[in-house]
Amino acid sequence: MEFLNTIGGGALALLGAAIAAALACVGSAKGTGITGEAGAGLVSEDPSKSGKVMILQVIPGTQGLYGFVIFFLAYLKVSGSIATLSVAQGLQVVSACLPIAIGGLLSAIAQGKVAAASINILAKKPDDWSKGMIMCIVVEFYAILCLLASFLMLNAIAI
Amino acid sequence: MAILKMKRLRLMVARSQKDELLRALIRLGCVQFSELEEDVQHLELLHRDESETLALKSEHSALIHAVELLDRYVSEKKPLLASPEEVDGDTLLDSSGKADALSLAETIRDADERIRRIGAEESRERAVIESLQPWLPLDMPLDIDGTERSRVLLGSVPVKVTADKLDDAIAQVTEEAELFEVSADKKARYVLIICAKEAVADLQEALRVLDFTAQSFPGMSGSAKQCAARSTQTLSSLAREKEAKRAEIEALASRRDELKLAADRLEAQLAMSQAGDLALRTDEVCLMQGWVPAEKEAALESLLSGFDCAWECEDPPEADYPEVPVSLKNNKLTNALNMVTDMYSLPAYGTVDPNPLMAPFFILFYGLMMADIGYGILMIAAALVALKKLKPRGGSLAFCQLLLYGGIATAAMGVLTGGFFSDIPYQLVHLFNPDSTWPGLWHLFSPESDSELVLYGSMVLGLLHLNTGMVVSAVQKVKNGDKAGALWEEGPLWVILVGALLLATDLLLVPGTVLHYIALALLVIGVVMLLFGAGRNAKGFGKVTAAFGAIYNTATGWFGDVLSYSRIMALMLAGGVVGKVFNTVAIMPAQASGVNVFTMLAFVIIFVLGHAMNFALNLLGCYVHDLRLQCLEFFGKFYSDGGKPFRPLKFGGKYVRVKE
Repeated sequence: MEFLNTIGGGALALLGAAIAAALACVGSAKGTGITGEAGAGLVSEDPSKSGKVMILQVIPGTQGLYGFVIFFLAYLKVSGSIATLSVAQGLQVVSACLPIAIGGLLSAIAQGKVAAASINILAKKPDDWSKGMIMCIVVEFYAILCLLASFLMLNAIAI
Repeated sequence: MAILKMKRLRLMVARSQKDELLRALIRLGCVQFSELEEDVQHLELLHRDESETLALKSEHSALIHAVELLDRYVSEKKPLLASPEEVDGDTLLDSSGKADALSLAETIRDADERIRRIGAEESRERAVIESLQPWLPLDMPLDIDGTERSRVLLGSVPVKVTADKLDDAIAQVTEEAELFEVSADKKARYVLIICAKEAVADLQEALRVLDFTAQSFPGMSGSAKQCAARSTQTLSSLAREKEAKRAEIEALASRRDELKLAADRLEAQLAMSQAGDLALRTDEVCLMQGWVPAEKEAALESLLSGFDCAWECEDPPEADYPEVPVSLKNNKLTNALNMVTDMYSLPAYGTVDPNPLMAPFFILFYGLMMADIGYGILMIAAALVALKKLKPRGGSLAFCQLLLYGGIATAAMGVLTGGFFSDIPYQLVHLFNPDSTWPGLWHLFSPESDSELVLYGSMVLGLLHLNTGMVVSAVQKVKNGDKAGALWEEGPLWVILVGALLLATDLLLVPGTVLHYIALALLVIGVVMLLFGAGRNAKGFGKVTAAFGAIYNTATGWFGDVLSYSRIMALMLAGGVVGKVFNTVAIMPAQASGVNVFTMLAFVIIFVLGHAMNFALNLLGCYVHDLRLQCLEFFGKFYSDGGKPFRPLKFGGKYVRVKE
């Protein structure tokens, strides 16, 4: 406890905001990256599909956005009182940021894999590519739940 | 608003009139032909006509392929939103111009094939030029391999093997040899070695140690420079030919519509030929069998009166229901839900059409999940524009209608939650007037401040939804004479449900009344009924496992089903929160450095991009999750799927459509 006091609540709260943005963005970067690699292969064969490939590629990008949303809300919440924040409050913010940080990181990667596989649908059965999109959106729901969990917790913290 | 009643049609027509009849029926568009039943008497006397379906199919795909090739070489310029051209039935049944179109398609295909082959030849010539590069300084003809007493060796060594090293190696084998370095690049050194005939074998052995790779130029005559020049010349003539072929295809682009019409005419011929293939015949008479909707029987009767034919229509016996094709009769509202039923699976013949049951819930749930006036207006506008410009039919019509109704519900729910592009009115008012105390748009409930209420509300809606499904299931069972099934399968659940609701009211609102005991009693009765109902058809020890299975499935199943509706609240909240963050970010520059042209420009850009993304994501996300609630939770309570879609003989071309 003494040790945590030397760090201070403000630093802890910023740490929470930082992991929310960073981990979720890493997940999205990885997810969009996987899809992009698969998509580039298809576009090299058939450039006319680049629009649809792009749509599939941006789907795993939303987790990064959700992470940023939570970062932003956490930052707005603590930015006025970084110096005076208690360790308990700081840890509360860290806890609130955890769902979207971890959930965003892993769900974006999982979604990236689905999106990359959907590129195959787009290549072989172009008329049915929207079904691949639907499969991606199923994964999205868990990122949304993480976003909500983080959001509700952040809302409940009194600073 | 129900599943269309179908009748089985049996038809005998004079063989000479068969084709004419098929042409009349494709215009009518309401008869689906099927294989003749096995129990026709004297089947051995009947034959099939020789089918031309295969030939038609290959001609049809040749035309489609030609149109696709044309589209690849010369993309068609047409307005973004345009409905397909409409023609009348006569035009589509007219088969003139088919030969012309087919030869046109062949010309296009040949030109395309030639262009591809030219591509392969070009890369071959380029490879030749590439391989000749190192030998260009050598002015000796490449096809000379020596004289009477000498041999010429051409080849390369890795660049790290210097000319001196090579010289040494050669000197150790023979003195009657001469080395010339022709050129060198980053990887290799290209050399010419002339040596005495007798020394060749030994020399090659010695050179192999130094990684010498011999090179030969089969089929080339003259010096490397001459060969390269010849290849360059070939390349340019190939390029000219390619250009000419390309121009040939481009010149044909003006006849694209002709090809398209011919393709659709062939498609009609193909459909008729496939229907005709199902007929059996004697020398004079054709026998056919199929399905026709009961409501079209009169139209069919008046059509058939013009032919020399005998026919009958009868209701299919219940045993044949699995074979009866299914078509849903919908009005403007429920037609939108065909999107869902077509994607999932049609209901089995003789059961209920889920569309009218699903419509109010689907649209309401969609509205709740999106819940934003701005997004709703965008959806309505998009749907109206598409309906007007594209004049969609079939699946696209259902999509546009669903977008329209979903938009209306979204806007209506937006009014209730006070969302207009999330909270932009509030943000703007407070930007321009920081002292304002305006609390934002009026709202009945807001997902952010009343999230608990919205969560419970979602689950209550879920209970309603699930119960609707159960009522349908019970009514169906009673209709089919299975009253006991309704009583023992749906009954206990309702008793438990009423008990649970009473208990909840009792605990939350008015604790300690007599209600408490009634509720507990109902719960016990319900569970006992459930146990009995589950065990009633099992024997011996099976009764026990069936009973416990029922308890477990009911408890976990219902718990999961109801909780699943919390997604309504989750999506409603998520859309609002993300939108709100975009609004806050968009308005930040203006807050920080005052309202001016630049900060307003930043506001507009961030606002538009952010909401475009949020809108697109929610549009799709809400649809998928609404779909899941319908197909998994709702359909699970009553739906029996597996109906085969009704596919009548009708015009179904890809490019033009027939006037209605």
